[in-house]
Amino acid sequence: MTPIVETRGLVKRYDDDLAVAGIDLLVGPGEIYGLVGPNGAGKTTTMRILATLLAPTAGEAYVTGIPVIADPNEVRRRIGYMPDFYGVYDDLRVWEYLDFFARCYGVPANRRGPMIGELLEIVDLGTKRDAYVESLSRGMRQRLCLAHTLVHDPALLILDEPASGLDPRARVEMREILRELRGMGKTILVSSHILPELGEMCTGVAIIDHGRVLRSGTIAEIERSLRASALLRIELLGDATDRDRATEWLGNEPAVADVLPVELDEPPAIRLDVSFDGPADAQADLLRRMIESGHRVVGFSQATTDLEEIFLKVTGQDVEDPAA
Amino acid sequence: MTATTAHAPAPTRPSPAREFLAAVVTIMVKELRSRMRGRRAFVVLTVYLGLLAFIAYAMYLVVSPLARDAAVGGFDQPGFQQANVSSLIGMAIFSVLSILQVVLVSVIAPAFTAGQISLEREKQTFDLLVTTPLRPGAIVIGKLATALAFVVLMILAAIPISAIVLMYGGAEVVDIVRQQLVLLATAIGFGSVGIFASALMKRTQAATVVTYCAVIGAILGSAMLFSFWQTVARADDPLGLQPNGGAPEQIRFVNPMVAMLDVVAHVEPAGGTQLTRPLYQLFGADLSAFPQPDAPLGRDEPAPAPVLDTRAAGYWWPRVSLSLIGVAALLTVGAMRLVVPAQGGWRSRRRPTTPSGATIEDQEP
Repeated sequence: MTPIVETRGLVKRYDDDLAVAGIDLLVGPGEIYGLVGPNGAGKTTTMRILATLLAPTAGEAYVTGIPVIADPNEVRRRIGYMPDFYGVYDDLRVWEYLDFFARCYGVPANRRGPMIGELLEIVDLGTKRDAYVESLSRGMRQRLCLAHTLVHDPALLILDEPASGLDPRARVEMREILRELRGMGKTILVSSHILPELGEMCTGVAIIDHGRVLRSGTIAEIERSLRASALLRIELLGDATDRDRATEWLGNEPAVADVLPVELDEPPAIRLDVSFDGPADAQADLLRRMIESGHRVVGFSQATTDLEEIFLKVTGQDVEDPAA
Repeated sequence: MTATTAHAPAPTRPSPAREFLAAVVTIMVKELRSRMRGRRAFVVLTVYLGLLAFIAYAMYLVVSPLARDAAVGGFDQPGFQQANVSSLIGMAIFSVLSILQVVLVSVIAPAFTAGQISLEREKQTFDLLVTTPLRPGAIVIGKLATALAFVVLMILAAIPISAIVLMYGGAEVVDIVRQQLVLLATAIGFGSVGIFASALMKRTQAATVVTYCAVIGAILGSAMLFSFWQTVARADDPLGLQPNGGAPEQIRFVNPMVAMLDVVAHVEPAGGTQLTRPLYQLFGADLSAFPQPDAPLGRDEPAPAPVLDTRAAGYWWPRVSLSLIGVAALLTVGAMRLVVPAQGGWRSRRRPTTPSGATIEDQEP
């Protein structure tokens, strides 16, 4: 079966900047595929190339088997694209806005009316049909923009940060809509700089940084590939001196990759998050030697890696505050 | 890799021409829905017509006593005298309305088009627009057509005011037709300057500045350049063997004021009237120096010096109109090329971008 999205060695260079440094993607029909990475990782560039807005410096990109570079117009008929930053035509009514895009895609007049009604139902704007776009809230505009990507029943939706700038409730609504669209058989390529946002609904994820795919696969696969290095959560009794002493001691352990002291409000006052490369018996050994060296350990456990940590580990840098 | 997919396009695609037309209509419908809604369009139209009507009436008040004075003694027969006074009033109103309208259209037409493309960029709606299958040509033509449709509406709506002169005499229907053709060509020419600048520049403000510089250049710049060239060239050609001493008259072909003065000169006496003489001095005395009866309105003034190199009346306006439309065609094609999304376009390499590929303006909140 033809993959919906396929890129091979995609490169985009801006002067001396390598925004995309050879990205290979393969997204099958019906998938929700997430591109995750910090800001500036190359997600938007990749999506803009697929949306026919940018020409790659090198490499190939196909949407439903059609080359993006050679036949952009055919590709445009098969994709619905929602950019990360976009404007809406304030002075149109909601239905006129969708009507305009439906006309752009040559949807016949007799199908436009009913289709606009259906789309507004999907994105939960049924009551806003005659409202001016200007009067919509940010979340509503986001949903309207999502609806506009659907007017021509495209095979692929390219959604660049669809949940950015939304409040938690609007995020949940957006996620519900994406699930519904997946149920309708759409393939969705979605980006975010927050992995957990995507984790629950994506069938596949590519973690991107500095223009490269660092890991790709299902969330479970990525998690497994990182299992070798466990995150230990060690809790101690004591004050700042004890903490520093423990940090230093752990730092001298060869199997410890990293120690991150975590501020806690209540006793036990110290917690250290420790990246540890080693099997379970090495962990037991570490605990024994810690106690023998006089550290008052009250808790020692392996943290279940959540998506946030996977992300941190893979990209090797701080993730931005999800609320930002 | 095959091109056949489960998601084939609609089985029957209309012919390219029909598709293009439909796309133009799509843009026009959207533009009209946002442009013609509310009071803005009607306020602009009302102010325009009100201004023209007021100026026409003011001209009547100012000119009629002068015209009466001028006509007295010229003829003994009351009927002749009446007709002559009346035609002088008509002539004056026609001249002033024509010149005022060409100025207003030169100002208004670019104002409607200079933001057309750049506003889409500024409001970040551009990406949504160019990822649709709409051809860039259809986007430009649709936007230009909508903007011009409104300017044309204004021009046509003002015909009845110009047509007042038909009651007075002094100008004929054919003069009004010429006046209208020059105005339409001006709107198309300068409107396309606006849309080209709008496609070229990122910011509406910059596009507006560039557009008005071009408009001022076409009207005042070309007049001054021609005049300067003429003076220099005549010094080398004291016998006047070549028209205008050999200065290229094509410089004037982008100047709608030259065209309108050519139209106005047709109804006026040689050398113009007190009202139009300064304009002839600025835009070229030769425009008016063809045989005409003596100028009653200008009788107190010294007779104008004979002007060499005179073209026949009606020489300039068709040439200027056609070349304005030619310029419009070139600029429209240019704008179409600029609107093509970055795919293979030279603009993509010039756009300042962040590593994420978003343009700088995208990054602004």
